[in-house]
Amino acid sequence: MEPLIRVENLCKDYQVTRRREGVWGGVVDLVKPRREILRAVDDVSFEIPAGEMVGYIGANGAGKSTTIKMLTGILTPTSGHVSVGGLVPWRDRTHYTRHIGAVFGQRTQLWWDLAVIESFHLLRKIYEVEEGAYRKQLDLFRELLGLDEFLHQPVRKLSLGQRMRCDLAAALLHGPRLLFLDEPTIGLDVVAKESVRVFLREIRDQLGVTVLLTTHDLGDIQQLCRRIVIIDHGKVIFDGEIDELRSRVGDRIKLTIELREAATSASLADVTGTMPVIWRAGDGLVHEVEFSRRDVRSAEVIRAVVNDRPVHDLRIEEQDIEEIVRGIYRRGDAKATDAADEGQEAGDA
Amino acid sequence: MPETAITVPGNEFERWRRGGAATAGLYVSFARLAFLKFLAYRLRYYTGVVSYTVFVAGNYYLFTALFASRPAGEELIGGLTLAQMISYVILSWVGRSFTFNNIDRTLAQQVVQGEIALQLIKPFHVQTVMLSEALGEALFRLLMFTAPILLVVVPLFGLSSPPDPALYGWTVLSFALAFLVNAQLNFLVGCLAFYLKNIIGVIRAKMVIMEFLTGVLVPFTFFPAWFQSAMEWLPFQAISYVPVTVYLGLRTGHDLIISLIVQAAWALGLFVLGRLLWSVSVKHVTLQGG
Repeated sequence: MEPLIRVENLCKDYQVTRRREGVWGGVVDLVKPRREILRAVDDVSFEIPAGEMVGYIGANGAGKSTTIKMLTGILTPTSGHVSVGGLVPWRDRTHYTRHIGAVFGQRTQLWWDLAVIESFHLLRKIYEVEEGAYRKQLDLFRELLGLDEFLHQPVRKLSLGQRMRCDLAAALLHGPRLLFLDEPTIGLDVVAKESVRVFLREIRDQLGVTVLLTTHDLGDIQQLCRRIVIIDHGKVIFDGEIDELRSRVGDRIKLTIELREAATSASLADVTGTMPVIWRAGDGLVHEVEFSRRDVRSAEVIRAVVNDRPVHDLRIEEQDIEEIVRGIYRRGDAKATDAADEGQEAGDA
Repeated sequence: MPETAITVPGNEFERWRRGGAATAGLYVSFARLAFLKFLAYRLRYYTGVVSYTVFVAGNYYLFTALFASRPAGEELIGGLTLAQMISYVILSWVGRSFTFNNIDRTLAQQVVQGEIALQLIKPFHVQTVMLSEALGEALFRLLMFTAPILLVVVPLFGLSSPPDPALYGWTVLSFALAFLVNAQLNFLVGCLAFYLKNIIGVIRAKMVIMEFLTGVLVPFTFFPAWFQSAMEWLPFQAISYVPVTVYLGLRTGHDLIISLIVQAAWALGLFVLGRLLWSVSVKHVTLQGG
């Protein structure tokens, strides 16, 4: 089936002015500014089928927001092609916007001085939504997001969490099949974050909305998306399922063992023998051993230790997604060169 | 047609059919909401009544002094009698209180702060939305600002009637056109924010220059002939000089009609120019601040 979003070799350059130092430099800048081209998005390609919820992640300035702005039609790319359901966002912008919703976490699309419900009425007129469909959609969101308590308050009086809930409803009132979320949980407390996540799961399951989500909060990703695209310095450095990312990075496991009798790490290393594990140097009751799930099963390591030593307690820690992504960022540059054989690896699997 | 395609055949036609009324209704809502918004902030405008009265008073005394020192036997200065001059001062300031708006500043701020992104993901024409909002603001100004100013200033300084009562109607029409020309011009200036770094400085300078070029500060008849004919070719006179001189009866018959047509032509021409500049600017858009 044709994917809903198809992005091919997308690039976006910005022109930046680099200032010279000192007073004289300032004068020179006036006459002859030093301009440089900055490539914010560099040859990005991916496809998203309808109904999927994909996380688009990267460090600050990696090119996430620029990509989203091109996909929503706000920015025109320097080169490359985007097709969303057969439309080119920046070329068919006015028509295209009827079919998408977008939330930019740092801004609100609601009218600051109006009551929330007034903003919704206005959006109904903007998108020419039929009264019946509007009622149905609004009732659903009032229930899912608990909007009733502040529906008649002006937007400027809302808390950030309340405002975000209203913005989500606003982006979906016209029933778009595609939703762009640029950092929807930024600045929210734990409870508010959770209600946003629950809502997004609901609309994915109930309405089948396709979602592209950028975030710094990897908790969002872990709870919402099976697939992620990681971008670094404008390039895609990973595109696949989270489990695949885990196994690719090595999926480190840390096992903490509490013994009944003190021992040295060297003696424990003898116990695990040829297994590819790393014992943290030390002696005493508590020891840590690290290994990759790809190389050895945790059951084998545990069995070896338990058979040889009296063990009081065990704790297994999996590396969380945040650490994995941090690892990927660090390897970002190296990735570009060995991307080819990794692609092959994934293909074989 | 694949299931994922967003376009539905016939959709466009259907929109055309019911489009007109629905779209007009939308822009009326924008005007209405702008009116309500300004109504909520009406307290700010009470001080404005005082400052406009002061502007008129200052000019009133300035020109009265000027006329007092005219050579014996001379009735006119710059082609105007003292009574006409006083009416000129009152009407140009009262008119300005109605035609003025801040859509240049509003648009510029949205561009500089990147808020414009949220307008660009909506299926409407930003220019028409801004003009509708300006219309809402103008209606608010007319009722809550211009009318009170008129009530204070007219008894205080004495506005003489136009030579022909029909000119009341023509003046109102001419001021309505003046509002349109000013709003289009402001939209154009706001668009410059896409290209200029210090747009607020430009807007501030524009405000001062406009007071001069529209004829609010000094009637064009005070200036040399070349200046007057240069002004004939610029849109600024349509914002104040034309409606005020219509009231004074300096444009009669054929001239009057031509003046109004020229005003309307400027309003239309600048609207089209604004539309072009907008579409070019949007293509160039590189948003600042995230």
